[in-house]
Amino acid sequence: MIFRLAIASLFARTLTVSMTVLAIALSVALFLGVEKVRTGAKASFADTISGTDLIVGARSGSVQLLLYSVFRIGNATNNVTWESYQDIAARPDVEWIVPISLGDSHRQFRVMGTTPAFFAHYKYRQGRALAVADGVIMDDLFDTVIGADVAATLGYSVDDPIVVAHGLASFTEHKDQPFRVSGILEKTGTPVDRTVIVSLEAIEAIHVDWQSGAQIPGQSTPVDVIRQMDLTPKAVTAALVGVESPLQTFALQRAINEYRQEPLLAILPGVALQELWGIVGIAETALLAVSAMVVVTALIGMMATIFSSLNERRREMAIFRAMGARPATILGMLVLEAMVMAAVGALFGLLFLYLGLIIAQPILDSAFGLWLPIDAPTLREFWVILAVICAGAIVSLVPALRAYRMSVADGMMVKT
Amino acid sequence: MKHALSLIALVAAMPAFAEDTRQLDAHEHGVGALNIAIEGTTVAMEFHAPGADIVGFEYAAESDADLAAIEAAVATLAAPLDLFALPDAAACTVTTAQAELESEEDHDEDDAEHAEEAGHTEFHAAYMLTCDNPEALTTISFPYFESFPNAQEVEVQIITASGAQAFEVERDAPVLNMGR
Repeated sequence: MIFRLAIASLFARTLTVSMTVLAIALSVALFLGVEKVRTGAKASFADTISGTDLIVGARSGSVQLLLYSVFRIGNATNNVTWESYQDIAARPDVEWIVPISLGDSHRQFRVMGTTPAFFAHYKYRQGRALAVADGVIMDDLFDTVIGADVAATLGYSVDDPIVVAHGLASFTEHKDQPFRVSGILEKTGTPVDRTVIVSLEAIEAIHVDWQSGAQIPGQSTPVDVIRQMDLTPKAVTAALVGVESPLQTFALQRAINEYRQEPLLAILPGVALQELWGIVGIAETALLAVSAMVVVTALIGMMATIFSSLNERRREMAIFRAMGARPATILGMLVLEAMVMAAVGALFGLLFLYLGLIIAQPILDSAFGLWLPIDAPTLREFWVILAVICAGAIVSLVPALRAYRMSVADGMMVKT
Repeated sequence: MKHALSLIALVAAMPAFAEDTRQLDAHEHGVGALNIAIEGTTVAMEFHAPGADIVGFEYAAESDADLAAIEAAVATLAAPLDLFALPDAAACTVTTAQAELESEEDHDEDDAEHAEEAGHTEFHAAYMLTCDNPEALTTISFPYFESFPNAQEVEVQIITASGAQAFEVERDAPVLNMGR
């Protein structure tokens, strides 16, 4: 009976009620959306590198090593000498090792020197391997494989010549060496998308005519001569290591960290990612707090509309009372109305969220490499909706209690 | 003769070169480190803790009481399942367990000067376990904190087939949930 009255009363005020419901729906959609982005970002962050047991670089900090070796952010404090690299590679517990050499750039993208083994061992999103979308993995000294973002931003296709610049944001470019694009990688959503990959020897080849950061004037070694040269690198920036058995990981890590000849650092990528997320994760909490405040604001907005409706409904309440409705019934009806509004708002919010996800999913994936899975609502969403309904009931208690106290006296007096 | 002398001088100088790299591990009192690697049914664990956490002192033990304390601590550390309790359902048994006390002076014993300085000591332990049902390894509780009242925190790193994870376990909440 009360329920029918409440529904009918809501329908009688369709415009104001629908605005209130819309505000709640949008705020709930925002809150759930932020939650989705947050978990999605965390997952795709943790999925940047998988399958690698240790990352080895110069001794610095684990987060820093992770940043420059995997995310290509910042620079290495030092390089790892080729001798040390060979020492580690020769250890019996090392199953595979992939060197990484950074420091050069192509336009705004980093150039990374490595071996073909990189394509076999670098994994992302729980063990997915890199795949070539077009062309082949490099097999010549001057071949490059470029990430999907590089190809898209610079409009490159297979067989285009490219020039690799020395140092980051440097104006001097290595014009002598005719690199060409041999392959374009599929989009991964990892920093690989923004990387130009060349062979380790190519990094050396670029610097043949260079001394202490400047080109030797008038000297330009022909490409054929470079091909004949010994291009074994003197150092690498970092290395990705896979161990024979997980049981040996800690022993190998300690051996590298205590390596006497050179100060080296070996990190567990998973642990370093966790540490890094601990730093950037503060922003996510702030975002969640802000969106929670938006939900609170929408609910307070609902309270305000109920308050103002009390004024319009003075007569209505008085008639209810005159017909024999107890004050508690009036209170119950108002709270019920609010709960219905909150519930409908929350459900619409969920609907908006899924509509938004369906529209935004491909856009976010291609623009930011952020993959938001569209799953059935979980228990978590259910709790959020329940919380919104309860909060709606609590908020409506304030105007409802006022109506409870005032309904007779207020409505019976002729004011207008 | 002159050549021979310079050769001797060179040889004499050699150890100085050899000692040229100096490094020292970080050492934080109250904080121990537990590393766990799981592969199939084999679980490898290694544990490091400062001497201060385990026996309450880090000087070279000379008195009988101190020596006895170290001996007792090593014996306690050699029983991993009493310190780091694994779920019964995992059915873990200890294959090998060893514990020892290591002082920094062990690295360069011939350097007599260092013995006088207040060095740090660390207890090291390594365990191999066999767990018939490794799927059940979801939590670890730490009676360790009851055995050693000076210990405040253990930094735990766990490597499983799905990657590496890090946890901090503190005296106030001595249970680790691996969340898998």
